[in-house]
Amino acid sequence: MTAVTPDRRTLDRTTSGPSRLSRVWSLASAETRMLGRNRTALVNSVVLPLLFVAAVPALGMDEGELPFGARLLVTAVGISLVMLTYYNLVTTYVARREDLVLQRMRTGELTDVEVLAGTAAPTVFITFGQVVVIAAGVVLLGGWSAPADVVLPLVALLAGTLLMVMLAAASTSFTRTPESAQITTLPIIVVSTGLSGIFYPLSVLPETLGEIARFLPLTPVVELLQLGLAGQTWQGDVVDGSVWPHAGVPLAVLAGWLVIGAVAARRGFRWAPRR
Amino acid sequence: MHPSAPPVLPPPTVEAAPAIEVQDLRRSYGDFEAVRGVSFEVRPGEVLALLGVNGAGKTSALEVLEGLAPAGSGTVRVLGMDPVAERARVRPHLGVLLQASGLPGDLTVAETLRTWAGTLTAPRPVEEALTQVGLAGRADVRVRSLSGGERRRLDLALALLGRPSVVVLDEPTTGLDPESRRQVWELVQGLVADGAAVLLTTHHLEEAEELADRVAIMRGGQIVLSGTQAEIAETQPATIRFGLDDDAPRPPVPAGVQVVTDGRRVEWHTRALQPVLAGLLAWAAEHGVVLRTLLARAGSLEQAFLAVADGTDPHVTPEENR
Repeated sequence: MTAVTPDRRTLDRTTSGPSRLSRVWSLASAETRMLGRNRTALVNSVVLPLLFVAAVPALGMDEGELPFGARLLVTAVGISLVMLTYYNLVTTYVARREDLVLQRMRTGELTDVEVLAGTAAPTVFITFGQVVVIAAGVVLLGGWSAPADVVLPLVALLAGTLLMVMLAAASTSFTRTPESAQITTLPIIVVSTGLSGIFYPLSVLPETLGEIARFLPLTPVVELLQLGLAGQTWQGDVVDGSVWPHAGVPLAVLAGWLVIGAVAARRGFRWAPRR
Repeated sequence: MHPSAPPVLPPPTVEAAPAIEVQDLRRSYGDFEAVRGVSFEVRPGEVLALLGVNGAGKTSALEVLEGLAPAGSGTVRVLGMDPVAERARVRPHLGVLLQASGLPGDLTVAETLRTWAGTLTAPRPVEEALTQVGLAGRADVRVRSLSGGERRRLDLALALLGRPSVVVLDEPTTGLDPESRRQVWELVQGLVADGAAVLLTTHHLEEAEELADRVAIMRGGQIVLSGTQAEIAETQPATIRFGLDDDAPRPPVPAGVQVVTDGRRVEWHTRALQPVLAGLLAWAAEHGVVLRTLLARAGSLEQAFLAVADGTDPHVTPEENR
């Protein structure tokens, strides 16, 4: 019998392995390929959100106080984050869990976070792609005006995306099948989106309700976008000078939700179906 | 069946440290204690088969060494490391085949292997892995279209893709046809010859007999019997069975023989097969008695397994066999 004693030198294979990024990329590109082969998922994630956004002018939702271009972009980001990033990822994570794929991935060298990130990657890419397409459309339609601040909208988009990924992971804990995601995602899709200010300004709500709405997860993202793109506060006032003094509350609320999302995802996420 | 590249390990030494060490492992789900104080070890170049009926706690125990679940109590070490806390350092050396696991149906066989290889520190070439499990001709087939057996072999190829020195296989051949099963056995034997430590669970006694250097039989979350196959077989009494004609005299029952059935069909159990059998044959010759359909058989692994599964084995007490 050949016997061996592993020593620390041979055990430290980690030093020669692929980088974290390339490991996630390997999974992400496979996920992207799978998405390309699944027509339903492709239509859901690419066509539907665009139709939604296109419907905004038709539905007369653009009659707010924001300029047309900013209005469209804010709506696009809000809808993409919820309908695409959040909803898609709840169904994807649940489907992968119920198919035992997540448990399989977990037996390899990827860390838990890398598995979640790789699985989320195509959805996140499409989210960003949608925003770029809409932004280009706004420019083409001549609706573009110089933003009051560029950092805040970018923070809103990136932190908002991260938050949606984490909320999606957390929502899988009470979602048994991909189909039941249609129901379990309603609190975020209906309540949080409805009260986020993307369909109508929060200033039209009774003041108490408006104040409460500011603490829902999607609202700070919308507030920061409006502040940055159009220089408008949640109450519809146009800010003279720097918009940053008005960004404190939404930034704090967003940060709070990121912490809640991370804790909830960590606690609630299951890798295997219930036995 | 041997991998073409040598494993990244130092030359053999005389006394090998255990690759897997499990001590007094316990795991509970709510009030139910699925694993109740299990201990075993597996050395490099050795196969330990964990046997037991469904629900014996095999998979629950394995999940801890796979790093998928923390131990309730007790210690588990893989290559001297904690598989949960030091998962990132253990994983490059650990190949895991889960009892039930899924693969995305929309990728082809080769794409699945390439994706997995992209996440590994030292993957073997995809072509080599395909050949290893006999899927070379199926590289461009979508996983959705594979048969159950082919999917299982792909799963195994993934488990072995990182050239692991510790391999955990949870029912590797369940659902495989006899030819595929033999192929998997050869694969496992190749791994072991190259110095890997293999822990496998199985329902198939034949599989344990073919592969295992040592066997541990679990029941109710405990290892009730463990040792080499010979040692386990020896825990069981030998069986002597014969038929007598109606007018034949009855043989005297030697000391130390347990009479299981008597009359025209006789079955004895004994721990001294040779002298008892010799005495019986001498008696038969002396009295001119024909022992019809005479059978004498030493205790077997199967007998031990069945005795443990039934809970009828009087020789079995938990954990005294280590």
